[in-house]
Amino acid sequence: MRFLLLLLLAATPAMAQRDTLTIGITQYPSTLHPNIENMAAKSYVLGFARRPLTAHDADWALVCMLCETLPTLQNGLARLETTPDGRPGIRITMRLREGLRWGDGTPISAEDLRFAWEAGRDPATGFGPAEMYRSMYELIVVDARTVEIRRDRVTFDFASMGDFQPLPAHVERAIWQADPRAYRTRTLYDREPTNPALWSGPYRVTQVQAGQGITLERNPMWSGATPHFRSIRVRTVENTTALEAQLLAGQVDMIAGELGLPVEQAAALERRTQGRFRVEYRPGLIYEHITPNLDNPALADRRVRQALLMAVDRQRIVDQLFGGRQTVAHSNVNPLDRMADPGVHRWPFDAARAAALLEEAGWRAGPDGIRRNAAGDRLSLDLMTTAGNRSREQVQQVLAAQWRAVGVETRIRNEPPRVFFGETLRQRRNQGLSLFAWISAPESVPRSTMHSEEIPTAARNWSGQNGGGFRNAEVDELLERLPITLEAEARRPLWARLQAIYAQELPALPLWFRQDAHVWPMWLEGVRPTGHLNASSLWAEHWRAR
Amino acid sequence: MIAARLAQIAITTVALSFIFFMLIGLMPGDPIDLAIAGDPRLTAEDAARLRALHGLDQPLLSRYFAWAAAVLSGNPGFSRLFAQPVAALIGPALLSTLTLLGFALGIAVVLGTALGVLAALRPRAAPAVQTLALLAQSVPGFWLGIMLIVVFAVWLGWLPAGGAEGGWRALILPVATLAFANLAGYARHAASAMAGALHDPWIRSARARGASESRIAWRHAFPNAAVPVITLIGLDAGALVSGAVITEALFARPGMGKLIFDAIMGNDSNLALLALLVVAVVTMLGSLGADLAQRALDPRIR
Amino acid sequence: MKLRIGLSLLALVALAAILAPWVGSHDPFAPDLFNRYAPPSAAHPLGTDDLGRDVALRLLHGARVSLAVGLGAALMAMLVGTAAGLLAAWRGGWWDAVLMRLADALLALPALPLLIVLSALDPAAIGLPRGEAGADILRIAVILAAFGWVGVARLARAAALSVLAQDFVRAARALGVSETRLLLRHVLPQLAPPIAVATALAVAGAILAESALSFLGLGIAPPAASWGNMLANAQEAVFAAPLVALWPGLAILLTVAGCSLVADGLRR
Repeated sequence: MRFLLLLLLAATPAMAQRDTLTIGITQYPSTLHPNIENMAAKSYVLGFARRPLTAHDADWALVCMLCETLPTLQNGLARLETTPDGRPGIRITMRLREGLRWGDGTPISAEDLRFAWEAGRDPATGFGPAEMYRSMYELIVVDARTVEIRRDRVTFDFASMGDFQPLPAHVERAIWQADPRAYRTRTLYDREPTNPALWSGPYRVTQVQAGQGITLERNPMWSGATPHFRSIRVRTVENTTALEAQLLAGQVDMIAGELGLPVEQAAALERRTQGRFRVEYRPGLIYEHITPNLDNPALADRRVRQALLMAVDRQRIVDQLFGGRQTVAHSNVNPLDRMADPGVHRWPFDAARAAALLEEAGWRAGPDGIRRNAAGDRLSLDLMTTAGNRSREQVQQVLAAQWRAVGVETRIRNEPPRVFFGETLRQRRNQGLSLFAWISAPESVPRSTMHSEEIPTAARNWSGQNGGGFRNAEVDELLERLPITLEAEARRPLWARLQAIYAQELPALPLWFRQDAHVWPMWLEGVRPTGHLNASSLWAEHWRAR
Repeated sequence: MIAARLAQIAITTVALSFIFFMLIGLMPGDPIDLAIAGDPRLTAEDAARLRALHGLDQPLLSRYFAWAAAVLSGNPGFSRLFAQPVAALIGPALLSTLTLLGFALGIAVVLGTALGVLAALRPRAAPAVQTLALLAQSVPGFWLGIMLIVVFAVWLGWLPAGGAEGGWRALILPVATLAFANLAGYARHAASAMAGALHDPWIRSARARGASESRIAWRHAFPNAAVPVITLIGLDAGALVSGAVITEALFARPGMGKLIFDAIMGNDSNLALLALLVVAVVTMLGSLGADLAQRALDPRIR
Repeated sequence: MKLRIGLSLLALVALAAILAPWVGSHDPFAPDLFNRYAPPSAAHPLGTDDLGRDVALRLLHGARVSLAVGLGAALMAMLVGTAAGLLAAWRGGWWDAVLMRLADALLALPALPLLIVLSALDPAAIGLPRGEAGADILRIAVILAAFGWVGVARLARAAALSVLAQDFVRAARALGVSETRLLLRHVLPQLAPPIAVATALAVAGAILAESALSFLGLGIAPPAASWGNMLANAQEAVFAAPLVALWPGLAILLTVAGCSLVADGLRR
């Protein structure tokens, strides 16, 4: 025992090195290939090491990353035309910035875009969503830095290239051509991730420890501003208590808000460790809500949905459970979104009105305090969420208590995420209420969650995300008109109408928009959280130590 | 004897591989289901295409035989979760877990036996040792781990709170957590075996011949007391691995336990299957090793 | 002495579990958001938890669930294990070999990774409703018993072998006593002490295993309270409110220690 103590005393913590930055996140990126699978941890790590063509910045505006100028109809880089089969189409000119190089010095060229396009269009390749590649029916290489893309869908966000980005053709094309089916498992992004030829960002991956972390170092071929930190280490710690402990023990310098501590844990940390860390809360596009299954006769009644919402004191839950650090939602459009309607109807917390609405809908108090309808059915609903997500489980128990107070019984039934998301929600097995979140991009049209064609059915292979089964002819029409209305001001009334219907019909009961809690050391500067799918790491060259 | 046991391990492994495959195959939600739930842009056609690409459209039984054939030909497949060949993941994880287990077991055995012998030789120390043993086997492992993190990593700042960096310093808290939970058994067995041995008639005769007390204790009684301790190592192999799952999750250490947990939760069946099998085989070999050691030491079992 | 201490510890826990619904004036399941992490007071002798619920009351209710898991798993393990041990000792030969090889194999397997696999299975696939407290308890107890029977079976077999080798058994058989009667009336009662020891240890093991499963997010689901999920919940706030983690940890410790003491006491 004495021996052990001596050992302990001999071990002094090393001084923090200010040219490295160690970041803790709660998820490990499964693959590093930019186009295979979509997950937050991957977006975060890739933000340092590769750059997309376009991205939404911290002010939620679309900006060029690798491209020179954002194509618009005004600057002529986007032109409306007719497709060969006579449909409306658009021709977009994408020009890469001058001097871009892969980490091995090879220039990033139009060929890299052509390779990405060809690989994406081949169904055997195994890239996730193929919709975008299908709509890009032709890609013309104009010169070494310029391509023209012809699409057969004209939407207002045509300039947003999303997942379409250059892939290093000089190292990856041969692997893909040899066997497109096996590309998924043979890509150098996973077989040899430290190959500099793969990376186009200010950093390149230099070390990968599966499940543990990824180390990145400055990319000497990067043509933009020189990043301050020599190396960035991203460490995965799934358990948030352990992650907080590592922060307090000085093993990680910061916790990324994109995949970090729950906001209440960060707030408690801030209170306890006054002055050691800076915590920045960034309101984001993660929309926590409750989807009612509209096939359930009780929930199909709009009055019941409205009553359920009014019976919940959302502001108080936010204040007490999250230290006020969430934004109460009144529709699925974040108030910070440029298309948000400030006049959207706000349902107050009003238990008496909720009770009255339930009475009106035919649900009268029963002997056990739970309401019953004329047929004698009890107003009893399943309330499901992801097991193991403690903050959702807390909210769920408060909701159950508040609904109980107006005579609605809820039975809490939670499942692990892989079952809940993979099966129950998708196959619409929950007949009651489902508590979960959607994450979206700025001004993204909620077609997949609200259009009646997006209701998952066996015939459609259970794809689509309108799990509640919401059908509204006017909403369908709005959702179809919105993407093809190119003028922003012409879209505004459509968005306002959509939000008005949402607030009345309540296809989902809005709870709040989550805030990300970014925990930084006092000496770190220049990180700008975005609050959406494009991670703050996309601007890592501006991060500085004081 | 060894050949029979090895054959038995081989048969058990084959049976287990079938059981594991079926259990994992029966879990709800396949990887494509999850991908669709997470990505609104995936359409019905995308789902069918990806499912065919991953071979998930085949019946379960034929998938088992395809998988078994692949494993036997030395290609256990690709981990969906870590986007790497499964074999490349298991090597380092196994090494890391065995390091953790080795140190934890070593400390538990040495310290536990020492405490047990102490209790047998010095009756006044016995109640303290018994209480400690009782405590050690009653504390939930993860709770002890958290308390150690809070005290040694957060309050005192002496040791890392987890992770794999920092070499042996990162090993101290996980090893302590795991060793403490396993210490009790060794202390109790060593104490009762030692006490029993000290009452053996031939020890009494050695004493009558005037051998010193310490010589009696260490040369005559202790070798007998060591036998049940070694038996216990064999029986405990499984429990140790279970403890490693919790410890690795809590301290964010790479290892087989964490790999298995991640693989099952993340629906990575290739990885989960092979990792489970490797752990089962290693555990069975561990108990076989303990049995052999016991036979070598104990003249009564031959 | 040990037996007495152990039994009184367990009696205390059992009393708490039985009396839980009649104690206290608040509802241990109703959140009170204005009273989160309150320190101990007259109204809340052990303070309140993350949702402002009374920790003491939840501990009492948690005792019901944790004991149900522990006793359920142990009783199932006892029945299966005794039957298997008795059968192996009585029939011998092929039966003995198969049963004991199975037991050896199970004993050599790492239980927790397998428990994770089993816990991730869909309870609906075997006809249990998903996510209900009762079903959760049953599911966890069954999974734990699937591993727990081995310990009982080995002890039962060893004891049964020595009983069956005694003279009175041969005498009884010579007198034409039926085998069923022999086993049930003469052998089984003599197995009681070792089986009781093994069962007491199985209760302890099951309670600890439930807390480990809760930590991994595979235990009893809320709103039901079990010591395991209270402890797992409290670890989230271990820096902010360490006391909340102390009580369920202590409850588990005392109960498990009680079982071990009883087992020890019975052994003498």
